[in-house]
Amino acid sequence: MTDVKATFPHLGNYFVPLEVLFTAGIEVDYIVPPPITNRTLELGTRHSPDFVCTPFKYNLGNYIESLEAGANTLVQVGGACRLDYYGELHEQILRDLGYDFRFVNIGSTKLTKPLTFYNILKEINPDMTLKNIARVLPVVLKMIQYIDEAEDFIRKNIGFERNPGEFDHTHQRFLLEMRSIRSKKELYNYYIKYMNIFKSIEVDKPKKPLRVGVIGEYYTIMVPFSNHFIEKELATMGIVIDRWMNLTNSVIHDFRPEAKEHIKNYVTFDMGATAMYTIDKALQFAKKGYDGIIHVKSFGCTPETDAIPVLQNISSDYKIPILYFSFDSQTSEIGIKTRLEAFYDMIIMRKEAV
Amino acid sequence: MFIMKADREKPAKVTVGIPKALLYFKYFHLWESFFQTLGINYIVSPDTNKDILNKGINYAVDEACLSSKIYLGHVAWLMGKCDYILVPRISSFGKAGKVCTKFYAIYDLVMSTFTDSDFKLINYNIDSTNSENERKAFVKMGVALGKSKSQSLYAYIIAKQTQKTQLNIIKNEQLKLLNKDGIKILIIAHRYTVLDKYIGEPIVRLLKQMGTTPIFGHVVDTKEALVRSEEISKTLPWLFNKELIGALALYKDKVDGIILMTTFPCGPDSLVNEVVIRKIKDKPILNLILDGQEGTAGLETRLESFIDIIKFKRSDEID
Amino acid sequence: MSTKLYLGLDIGSISTKGVVIDAQNNIVASEYIWTEGDPIGAVKKLLPIFKEQLGGKDYSIAAVGVTGSARKLIGVITGAAIVKNEITAHAIGTISLYPNVRTIFEIGGQDSKIILIDNGFVTDYAMNTLCAAGTGAFLSSQAQRLGVKVEQFGEIALTSKRPTPIAARCTVFAESDLVHKAQMGHTKQDIIAGLCKAVVANYLNNVGKGKKITPPIVFQGGVSKNSGVIKAFEEAVENEITVDENSHLIGALGVAILARKTRAEDDFKFEIADIDFVTRGAECGKCSNNCEIICIYQDDKLIDAWGNKCEKGTIQK
Repeated sequence: MTDVKATFPHLGNYFVPLEVLFTAGIEVDYIVPPPITNRTLELGTRHSPDFVCTPFKYNLGNYIESLEAGANTLVQVGGACRLDYYGELHEQILRDLGYDFRFVNIGSTKLTKPLTFYNILKEINPDMTLKNIARVLPVVLKMIQYIDEAEDFIRKNIGFERNPGEFDHTHQRFLLEMRSIRSKKELYNYYIKYMNIFKSIEVDKPKKPLRVGVIGEYYTIMVPFSNHFIEKELATMGIVIDRWMNLTNSVIHDFRPEAKEHIKNYVTFDMGATAMYTIDKALQFAKKGYDGIIHVKSFGCTPETDAIPVLQNISSDYKIPILYFSFDSQTSEIGIKTRLEAFYDMIIMRKEAV
Repeated sequence: MFIMKADREKPAKVTVGIPKALLYFKYFHLWESFFQTLGINYIVSPDTNKDILNKGINYAVDEACLSSKIYLGHVAWLMGKCDYILVPRISSFGKAGKVCTKFYAIYDLVMSTFTDSDFKLINYNIDSTNSENERKAFVKMGVALGKSKSQSLYAYIIAKQTQKTQLNIIKNEQLKLLNKDGIKILIIAHRYTVLDKYIGEPIVRLLKQMGTTPIFGHVVDTKEALVRSEEISKTLPWLFNKELIGALALYKDKVDGIILMTTFPCGPDSLVNEVVIRKIKDKPILNLILDGQEGTAGLETRLESFIDIIKFKRSDEID
Repeated sequence: MSTKLYLGLDIGSISTKGVVIDAQNNIVASEYIWTEGDPIGAVKKLLPIFKEQLGGKDYSIAAVGVTGSARKLIGVITGAAIVKNEITAHAIGTISLYPNVRTIFEIGGQDSKIILIDNGFVTDYAMNTLCAAGTGAFLSSQAQRLGVKVEQFGEIALTSKRPTPIAARCTVFAESDLVHKAQMGHTKQDIIAGLCKAVVANYLNNVGKGKKITPPIVFQGGVSKNSGVIKAFEEAVENEITVDENSHLIGALGVAILARKTRAEDDFKFEIADIDFVTRGAECGKCSNNCEIICIYQDDKLIDAWGNKCEKGTIQK
């Protein structure tokens, strides 16, 4: 074992598979960043340039808190937008702050190609073996997929649970115990067991519940703290929440050709980053007769801002209300609640009238 | 055969409208020469003015960057004055680099924004990763406007030559300025910011009035700049920024101060400017964020104090 | 038999509005006072005024409805039958007066909204929470700077022939631009008219962006009393704008109607003004969120608490 203590910024609950990837696959210690709190955002904001997108600030806050927790190797990836250049500036800011660490910038390497992936990960631990990573990577990818499937089920049912908190507690247990699994077979059995538990949780779901689709920018949609827990808020109103965006659908699989085909009446070219998915899912929710759509992004996110005129056209063609949220580090909590409550009133009154 | 058919039909005379914003400032030699050689009518929207800006603000999503708001203002001005509007769509120059997703989206952004108007856009798409290069794009465009493939290719080659010649003239002029005495200020800004008559030009004018010589980061040998950019930043993905950062590496020792000029809230610049500020420590830097609403009074004060500091430092060094 | 009446309260950050209505939605008592950062105090001041306005009538307050940014707090202390957000309250109030309304403009003290309505149902809305430019508070501070009363703004604006262009994207920019324009020698009338136009431009480019504005249009909220802003709106949207005489009370009216519709049979007493309510802010401190938890005490007894982001901060009553 090396003395490497690696870390990667938070993204939803993927710290679980990431931890397995680092400890079992790359064979280094892994520091799970402390949970995101106001302090994380404050630290990140204080040391970031002013109008950079908020995910940059959250990532920076995660790095600082992980360094404080003993991390010495920071990992960053690339992406189809500003994310592609996060790493270099993160490293520079942290160096200027006087931290001592190694920075490994993976760039835009495809997660699903073990060999190229391997060569870059070797930077983290030169002693790691191809055999090991080839054994662990499939488990990690499956873990991501199972987490995504479980969370999809939770989102559609948590608003109707008979005993408040049951889904949350089961979900936490599901993630916690998953951390010790190392084989695909064990993982599969584990997944089946938990899906049965989730399905056995008692719910009072009306025949035709309110259904709301959540779409938007990659990070903000997947990190509840950064979207002020709007999925949780919606659930307490008794709404089925449908959110397609997750790692399985965006990184492990490439659905862009399908998306492009679906939306050809609205868009000719790929509009960048997640814009195609955002538009595709909005159209799908509209066609399925959902009661409303909520679009989330961080302030100034270019591809998602550019998707808005298209969303407005879909909204008026299908008469489906779309609520737009743009979060920055100073968004007011009260304003979000008021708009969500009004959104609920609007869709329930429409539904009752029909 | 397709070419013959296009030749025989002689379509009615069409007029192409070109918005004087965003990539216009990079490609106007190329575009105008291409249309001139093919004998195609074209009009260019006027310099940005308050009215165009306000129109753009009206049409654009509030959070969109100022440059794209201005662009929509120019498109709005062209509505009803031409048969086609040239809205280039660019996503990748292959190995050379990427561009901001704004350029991926601008074609569909225009299409989805002006839903009440009746207009046509010319399909002009450069996406090197999908083997849609510039030459192909121009030939397609010529054919769509009723010219033959060979005519279009010929016009493209002429246009490319014209562009090269023009850019060389500008480059040589700047080389002379670089060796001039007096205070030189390097402006690192996208062409569509610094060359825009309403946004960047007033600042350039002020700098000249203050007796300094502005040097432009965008006037540079691209190949050389791309190589040199690595001295400042190794992982920069955006071609246009990379070129500017390369120019910064090339020119920085020959100038007295650097102005980073950015339209609010430009995505790439939000990161790149910070990298520059953190890495370049031996020259004074002024980071100007423009949102098109600030009065010139405030700008003047900021520029003046920046130049004063440089002058002060200089006189110190001479003493 | 005593008449059943319904109380609606709209407690905003700047002002507190209240109405009492009868079963036919007629306003039988109403008042408007400053909140001055003390919503409980404002409500306590408001209630005796209603009592006086209603005089010796034989009535009972069957239900209370509360809206506005302090709705949760005031909802608890008044034992409200319904607590509603401002958007729904404004929509309901407006529809009760103008059943055909399609667009509602609302500019209040610290925020502004647009609500789109079709066939009596809200179909879309937007609310500005990021920026104070173009709200009542902004106009008040600019009025002070120019040395005029904000109430006179409208009249003065209407006398201008050439409104001065003012940059209104952001309060900070607007302020410096205003000072600059005044120094350049623009007249006060022209600057005030320019400010009214700037408020409208800012509104339409922010909350109004991408919304299809269809007449009939009703304009309400405190700023709707400003005739200069009304005129600027009419010019900008090229349509007639309706402003109700009670345009500042519509939120309170809406929530009073919602209270009536709950069919609650409470018997609310204005004497609540004598009960001692105290709120205390406490920092949770159980994690680095440091959530600010608000505890509400009635005569020293904890009656409610909120503000915690997670279960750790739950306070047992």
